[in-house]
Amino acid sequence: MENSQGYNILTVGVGGQGVIFSCKLLAAAALEDGGNQVRTAETHGMAQRGGTVIGYLRFGPKVSGPLIHKADVMLSFELSEALRSIKYADSHTSLFVSTDVIIPPSVYTYKIPYPEQEKTLKYLNKVTKNVHLINAREMAVKAGNSKTLNVILIGAMFGAGKLPIKEESLKNAIIKFVPAKAKEVNDVAFKMGYEIGQKIKEEFYE
Amino acid sequence: MNKPDYAEDTPGKEVILMGNEAIARGILEGGVIVGAAYPGTPSSEIIETLVKIQKFHPHLILELSINEKVAFEVSYGGAISDLRSVAIMKHVGLNVASDAFMTACYSGTRGGFVVISADDPNCYSSQNEQDNRYFGPHALVPVIEPSSPNEAKEMMKGAFELSEKHNSIILYRTTTRLNHGRGNVTLGDIKTSGRPASYERNPNKWVCVPSNSRVMRIELLARLEKFSEESNTYPFTSIKLSEEKVDGKKLGFISAGVPYSHLVDALNHFNIIDKVSILKIGMVYPPPTKLITQLLEHCDEILIVEELEPFIENLVKQIAFDAKIQKPVHGKDTFPIPGEFPVGLYLEKVAQFAGIDYKTEELPESDIALPPRLPLLCPGCSHRSTYWALKKVEQKLKIKTFKSGDIGCYTLGVYKPLQSMDAQICMGSSIGVGNALAKFQTEKEPVVAIIGDSTFFHSGVPGLINAVYNQNDLLVIIMDNRSTSMTGMQPNPGTGVKITGEPGNRIILEDLVKGCGVLEENIWIEDANDTPKMLEKLEEAILARGNGVRVFISRHVCSLLEIGQWKRQGKKTPVVKVDPDKCVGCMTCIRQFGCPAFVEIEGEPEQDGRKRKKSSIDPDVCRGCGVCVIGVCPYGAIYFEGE
Repeated sequence: MENSQGYNILTVGVGGQGVIFSCKLLAAAALEDGGNQVRTAETHGMAQRGGTVIGYLRFGPKVSGPLIHKADVMLSFELSEALRSIKYADSHTSLFVSTDVIIPPSVYTYKIPYPEQEKTLKYLNKVTKNVHLINAREMAVKAGNSKTLNVILIGAMFGAGKLPIKEESLKNAIIKFVPAKAKEVNDVAFKMGYEIGQKIKEEFYE
Repeated sequence: MNKPDYAEDTPGKEVILMGNEAIARGILEGGVIVGAAYPGTPSSEIIETLVKIQKFHPHLILELSINEKVAFEVSYGGAISDLRSVAIMKHVGLNVASDAFMTACYSGTRGGFVVISADDPNCYSSQNEQDNRYFGPHALVPVIEPSSPNEAKEMMKGAFELSEKHNSIILYRTTTRLNHGRGNVTLGDIKTSGRPASYERNPNKWVCVPSNSRVMRIELLARLEKFSEESNTYPFTSIKLSEEKVDGKKLGFISAGVPYSHLVDALNHFNIIDKVSILKIGMVYPPPTKLITQLLEHCDEILIVEELEPFIENLVKQIAFDAKIQKPVHGKDTFPIPGEFPVGLYLEKVAQFAGIDYKTEELPESDIALPPRLPLLCPGCSHRSTYWALKKVEQKLKIKTFKSGDIGCYTLGVYKPLQSMDAQICMGSSIGVGNALAKFQTEKEPVVAIIGDSTFFHSGVPGLINAVYNQNDLLVIIMDNRSTSMTGMQPNPGTGVKITGEPGNRIILEDLVKGCGVLEENIWIEDANDTPKMLEKLEEAILARGNGVRVFISRHVCSLLEIGQWKRQGKKTPVVKVDPDKCVGCMTCIRQFGCPAFVEIEGEPEQDGRKRKKSSIDPDVCRGCGVCVIGVCPYGAIYFEGE
């Protein structure tokens, strides 16, 4: 991590997956943690749904601009989107990638096939050794709601020790952002993600 | 409703706000009474945030006007009645408002008056990339530009006093990353009261006839002269001179806005921020001439960091010329003019300028092609239905219409597979341009102007009156989805609901069309999703060429709004399916109709043992509109479940 550049988290996915929501939630956690300048930016297409969405989050004592050069962590909510935003990664980046696949209609109209998972992984591994593939959707369904996919990924990042924020700050942000009636299911999802993260930590970061 | 952070009366509290929310908060703290806007990315959330603030601070008088010119005039009306006022629009919106803006600057203002222009480097959601800082020297008014959300709030708050001090309009310019970025903001005091509204009867000042304007132009130039002096002491402009040398030279940087925030990061990255001189400009026009001269004199070499045009660079070079200072000044010889700068570019160019050896890690080569996620019409979008019907009629009549398009969600019809737009420049241009196109149309190539409801209210009406008056034989399709969808589903005169959620008066679209002089027999109104009817009536409208101006209103509420309506009514979403036995895999539904709910799957083995590609519907994406059930599949393979 480049110190003066703060900590940089990129959230990527497809419109409707909660990419910006996650970015906002993590920004609130970073503010709650204290002593941070927090900056975010977001990029999304003109369409209301189905486009590529990128959330940029930076925090640290000196952070100034909203955009990211190279991310410390990339949370990819969709498999091919990790590839699309790979320019924001380098050998130091940790990639938490959901195996979720959302086929864009251009596969049919422009006849460009959706990249195979194996090939995608092979390339991602060439960029960084720290690629963590997570069956986040499956886990989210198990937790009780497929929409908790984002909390699973956030839990995994935290469990792996890749989110330098106090647990309390993160939990408070989740409570603030998640509707009260969905609290329980999100707690379950966070725990599931956290456990996966702990395993990742043992395997990659210890 | 919970009180959002930006509406709280808790001075000193630190919160995270989006740039547009911070701007709205600055408007609240600045004591504004009148705010008017026309929505446009990236500015739309400012008025939306103000509406949410108004629930707790009812002194605000807010309005979504029908276009930017009217929004400007509404705010100006507030300002000359001595109330602090703000007009909010995107960069191209200021073009629409510029007729009023360019002359209003002559009269100036009584209450503080700020015009917000949200520019969009990289055209993320705009038809062009124009740099509205040029409106400063064009209209002879100051241009201020914030570089972070907190500064956006503070600068907005202070802008009203600045405006009142010299009775001048202030242009407040932002770019997308400021509007749509978030950051720490410290809340300040809310100002809810000011002077009461009053009229000033002084025609010499408020009536812009030549005899008055000649005098006011002199005064306008004198006001600018005062700002020219004050630009040097503007609170959001700062200079820091360093005696140290980097690479054997005293280096100087000049920047403003979002690029300044990234320049700071780059200088921190290389640990040279204390070793270089920096001029950060908050008022980019008129420029802080003294500070610029000071920096030019102090440094050996200067780099100007700004996105888009060399606006600051040209001013600096002019100042250097007048002061007879000959030093290397870099700007657009180092940074590009078009597009937004990625962070890597700041790092590379700053390193290059400072003689630092820097290389970013290169990505391994990849041969994987990625299918793009192009902006698409939503599943269930009624614009797709209209385009589809138009396509079918063209096929039947063996014609190809020339489609003069406009700005809105339906502009996305230009992409595959619909490819249903041939020309488009700006709001309202479909009908305006169509006026001339219609003069040259033929039986095989009739002309159709395509415009949405909100855009028609915005600036389509004059074009339509023009067509009627000048007997231009044009067919206009108004895609009426009862919403301003592309900018976030704001209401418009056709909905009869105001931006505040209160009822307004509804303008009946067809009555307006009739009022423009279109004959009753030349007006069609159909449900866009009723394909058989659409086919019949659209054919009629196209074949009525020669009967004068025809208007076809293709009406169906925006799909995203319809989902909500169905939910509230307790209506279950119909389930639409593809019968795999009937589907032959022609893929008309995917490759021609192009609803994103359709996916290709591998079918079961057939009699010959082969598996064929079939179409299927993703139930998570399908909206259940059923437009594909009739008139899309040539084999009738698509059906409503349970029918």
